[in-house]
Amino acid sequence: MRVQFVLQEIWIGLRRNLTMTISLVITVAIAMALFGTGLLIKAQVDNSKSYWDGKIQVSIFLCLKGSPTVACNNTAATPADRQALTDTLHKIPNVISVDYEDQAHALARFKAEYANNPAFANSTQIGDIPDSLRVKLRDPSKFDEVRTAVSGAKGVDQIINEADILKKFFRILDGLKWASLLIALIQMFAAIMLVANTVRLSAFNRRRETGIMRLVGASNLYIQLPFILEGAIAGLVGGLVSTIMLIGAKLFLIDKLQGQVQFATQLGWGSTIMIIIFSICIGVLLCAGSSFLTLRRYLRI
Amino acid sequence: MIHFDNVTKVYPNQNRPALQHVNVAVEKGEFLFLVGPSGSGKSTFLRLVLKEERPSQGHVHVAGKDLSRLTNWKIPHLRRRIGCVFQDFRLLPNKNVFENVAFALEVIGKPKRFIAKVVPEVIDLVGLEGKQHRMPDELSGGEQQRVAIARAFVNRPMILLADEPTGNIDPATSIGIMKVLDRINRTGTTVVMATHDAAIVDAFRKRVVELEDGRVVRDQSRGVYGQAY
Repeated sequence: MRVQFVLQEIWIGLRRNLTMTISLVITVAIAMALFGTGLLIKAQVDNSKSYWDGKIQVSIFLCLKGSPTVACNNTAATPADRQALTDTLHKIPNVISVDYEDQAHALARFKAEYANNPAFANSTQIGDIPDSLRVKLRDPSKFDEVRTAVSGAKGVDQIINEADILKKFFRILDGLKWASLLIALIQMFAAIMLVANTVRLSAFNRRRETGIMRLVGASNLYIQLPFILEGAIAGLVGGLVSTIMLIGAKLFLIDKLQGQVQFATQLGWGSTIMIIIFSICIGVLLCAGSSFLTLRRYLRI
Repeated sequence: MIHFDNVTKVYPNQNRPALQHVNVAVEKGEFLFLVGPSGSGKSTFLRLVLKEERPSQGHVHVAGKDLSRLTNWKIPHLRRRIGCVFQDFRLLPNKNVFENVAFALEVIGKPKRFIAKVVPEVIDLVGLEGKQHRMPDELSGGEQQRVAIARAFVNRPMILLADEPTGNIDPATSIGIMKVLDRINRTGTTVVMATHDAAIVDAFRKRVVELEDGRVVRDQSRGVYGQAY
């Protein structure tokens, strides 16, 4: 096997089909970038989900004097109401713990969470956030038993399930994930057809050479390898371009998300790099595979 | 060397067979003219030897091997032992004489040093001394065919197949081409040449196999083109 000869053939092939090669590289790059973004979002969601599964709580906000809720009847919850509620909750097997958070603590926690938005945090005063019972559940999906047990009870203003808020956030991310994977799929389809076309053109352009190669007894591998590698190289270059896009997606989408939404956990560079490598491999295999399949049609042995 | 055993070839979607019950044996070192009008089956004969086509019936043996038993991935090895020359030369226009001949060795993975030694020898053999660096469009038709012959012969095949090698060349130049083929034949290479160039066949007095409508109608040693002459 003469490496130099094969490389030279590849170079000739790529140069002759320059416009096709460029469009192929772009298509592969976009396909792989979207594919990788979908995987990044999925990794982010999985990561956040497992992080939050252990921490999700249900907050039962207690009535204050002046609460607009009808059930409160404009009277604040008494310590006796609070005790009754705590007892009721403890009877539910799914409940791990019930903690009382008074207004001072609630304000402190709020200020800590919004530390990067001081104007908002400072405009909040004691009394704006009512005191609450924070309930931790063994299985967060069985939230309804808690709701039926305490809703309408004396002193209960609002029941907020953190899982519901997270669900909304995850739903948006899931939507993004599926959208990028779907577009990636369409782009991959386009890439496969582009490879097929490029290889067909390439095979046509080099029909003299391949005809002579056949006649003088070049092995099939020798004849086909330049074409397959041509596809693979276009795939690789596309994959490398997509790497830049993926790093952008990580910096400007995933990391921004983490800055803005406190539900998101940090997605490390380790998994980002894994996803990038995976995307490049998929891109190369996709191109090499489809050029191999096309060759069987257009290159007679 | 080449043995056709009751070979019939029918191309798909055609009623008339291209070859019918052909029995021909070509011995090692022989020079054979394959004559007959267009469409008589000369090219099909050559394509069967290369296993570019398969016989519909019968067997083709080349160098003692039954081609029907040759697996697809061994076909390249068969073709390395057979050189081919065509009417239209089939040179690569973007490569010079040396590169065109070297191409045949490069693609079967021969080392560079070997190519550098063997290619000039064969270029001299076909009578193109000093024209190694010419491009094909700077050569006459006869010279281009010499390059094609050099390329076919550079790997020292056992068999050289020539499909109307003088078809595009004037008679005077054709004699030169025939001398090259004769020289190659004298090295022990079996040569099968399909042609309808009567003057050449008559002048050379080699074995003649005449095909008509896919049948062998004449097989004569030291024959002429047509019996009418």
